[in-house]
Amino acid sequence: MSAATTAPEVVARTRRHDLLGRQGGVGTVLLSLIVATAAYGFFFLPDGAGKKRVGQPYEAPSGAHPLGTDDLGRDLLNQLLVGAGTSLTLAFIVAAVTTVLAAIIGGLAGIGPRWLSATIMRGIDVMLVLPELVLFILAATFLGQSFGIRAAILALILWPVPARVLRAAVLTTWSRAHVEAARAMGAGQAWLLARHASYLLGPLLVPVFVRTAMRVIIYDATLSFLGLGDPTMPSWGTTLYWVQVNGVFLSDAWLWWAGPPGLAITLTVVALALIGTSIEDRLNPNLQESR
Amino acid sequence: MSAIQASVPATPVARRGRLTFLGGRVLEYLAVLIVALTLNFLLPRALPGGPLKLFGSPEALARLTAEERAQIATEYGFGDPIHLQFLDYLHSVVTLDLGTSLSDGRDVTAAIGDALPWTLLLVGTSIVATTLIGITLGVIGGIRRREGKGAFTLTGAIVVDSIPQFWLAMLLIVWFGVKWQIAPTFGATGPDGTTVAGLAQHLVLPVATLTITGIGYIFMYTRSSMLSVLTSEPVQHAHARGIPRGRLVRRHVLRPALLPVHTLIMLDIGFLAAGAIVVETVFAYPGLGRLTFGAIAARDYPLMQGTFLVLTLMVVLMNLLADLTYPLLDPRARTGGDR
Repeated sequence: MSAATTAPEVVARTRRHDLLGRQGGVGTVLLSLIVATAAYGFFFLPDGAGKKRVGQPYEAPSGAHPLGTDDLGRDLLNQLLVGAGTSLTLAFIVAAVTTVLAAIIGGLAGIGPRWLSATIMRGIDVMLVLPELVLFILAATFLGQSFGIRAAILALILWPVPARVLRAAVLTTWSRAHVEAARAMGAGQAWLLARHASYLLGPLLVPVFVRTAMRVIIYDATLSFLGLGDPTMPSWGTTLYWVQVNGVFLSDAWLWWAGPPGLAITLTVVALALIGTSIEDRLNPNLQESR
Repeated sequence: MSAIQASVPATPVARRGRLTFLGGRVLEYLAVLIVALTLNFLLPRALPGGPLKLFGSPEALARLTAEERAQIATEYGFGDPIHLQFLDYLHSVVTLDLGTSLSDGRDVTAAIGDALPWTLLLVGTSIVATTLIGITLGVIGGIRRREGKGAFTLTGAIVVDSIPQFWLAMLLIVWFGVKWQIAPTFGATGPDGTTVAGLAQHLVLPVATLTITGIGYIFMYTRSSMLSVLTSEPVQHAHARGIPRGRLVRRHVLRPALLPVHTLIMLDIGFLAAGAIVVETVFAYPGLGRLTFGAIAARDYPLMQGTFLVLTLMVVLMNLLADLTYPLLDPRARTGGDR
């Protein structure tokens, strides 16, 4: 095995015929399972599942309650299933909004007039200096924790990073030979975007969406864990908040109380990360240019 | 454009002299700082749920006369015109007089002064551990990327990177603190005061949490940077000249591959203090993050502004430090651009 790798080797790696490679495949299967779980929780569980008292407090797992109950006698398995729906819905909505925001702002910064571009970029610089987590905590404390507000806060704070990535991509695309040729022949920005750049830029929105969904899941869970979750909606982070508040680690109950929601968060993020990484690998311009 | 240049997008030197460049950057940071100060000043004031809520229950507040409200507002300076409040704020920032905490009457500068060393200790230790482990694994993963192990560590890194910090912290408390009782689970010092052994023991679990959740990112970044340098033309040429593998990696690959990693880590350090909020909360570690969270939860404006200021300053300083140390690592940035 030599240290240096030749370009053809890398190309061979990216030219595999399967869509996303093995990692992406594992990620997709994992995510589908989680989405299916969330759908089950949404469609087949009775109203108020995971919110209502259904047994004695602190019950150990049994046939009726496979993951036991919490300190208020609520079913932990139901909380897990309903929480999947809450987390995924939030993640996908915020990711969609953020991707659109980032595409518009990043696009304007890339091909808009110079003053606009400079203003946007300085604005992004400033936003990136402010620590995200602190902003989230601040906003959640003062503005409230309901679903809509949580979604708005997340989208408004998460767009700068992807916007910068997309701006860079727009600039790169605009300097490509075929785009420059079209521009030399008098094509307008809109036509360039629609006809000559969209097929290069469009796919880049997919990893932006996936990465944002990932960050939403983590940040939402973190906020809920810190006690800044919507108390009326079962979610993975909120379940873990009660674990912390009740000092559940002192007994064996942490195994069925703290284990499953944490594992669920980790698996969801892993699934999204696997998908994101494999898409990014395929889109990596460095690797494509060496073809 | 060669792949090496493409792999170092953050080369900060344009075709200007180095001093002009640094001057420009410093001005840019000053501008960022001023905007951050302004936001820092406005944010708590613009948000609903004013500071008067702090002085009692809504019923008690409703009983206050307008005069009493005004008196409280004057005492704490909330009644002045906004531009005077801002000037006051700037003056107090410059003189490091950040006021007194609304919730416990402590001096804000003193409270931050007490908390900052703990955060620096916690974050400093974990950044050293994270960097050493992450870069080492990343370099190895980059070189051996086609062997089975390489692929495994990439998946491993993704998994480690995905674990929520607070959950890992809980698991560590369950196993190491409660089951095996080999490490303390809260605070920064033991009952016998500040001893080196006590400090180290109390650092173990928080540092482990920050390190484990941090290596994945650095590993992946280092690995992909290694890959793009390994496939670059100069390195392939060096390989074709028959330079042995070890020397090739040491002399031709490491430096260009680690440049972007250096920038990444410098930028990360600034944010780590803010990122330590979760870990400091779970382990009841008396640092800046816990102070910030407490200040926000209590709507303690002076303390909130003080901690934000320090957290933002850390990010700006680390940005500046990254720019200043870059030329030490990248000879192209030393020549003033006329390479």
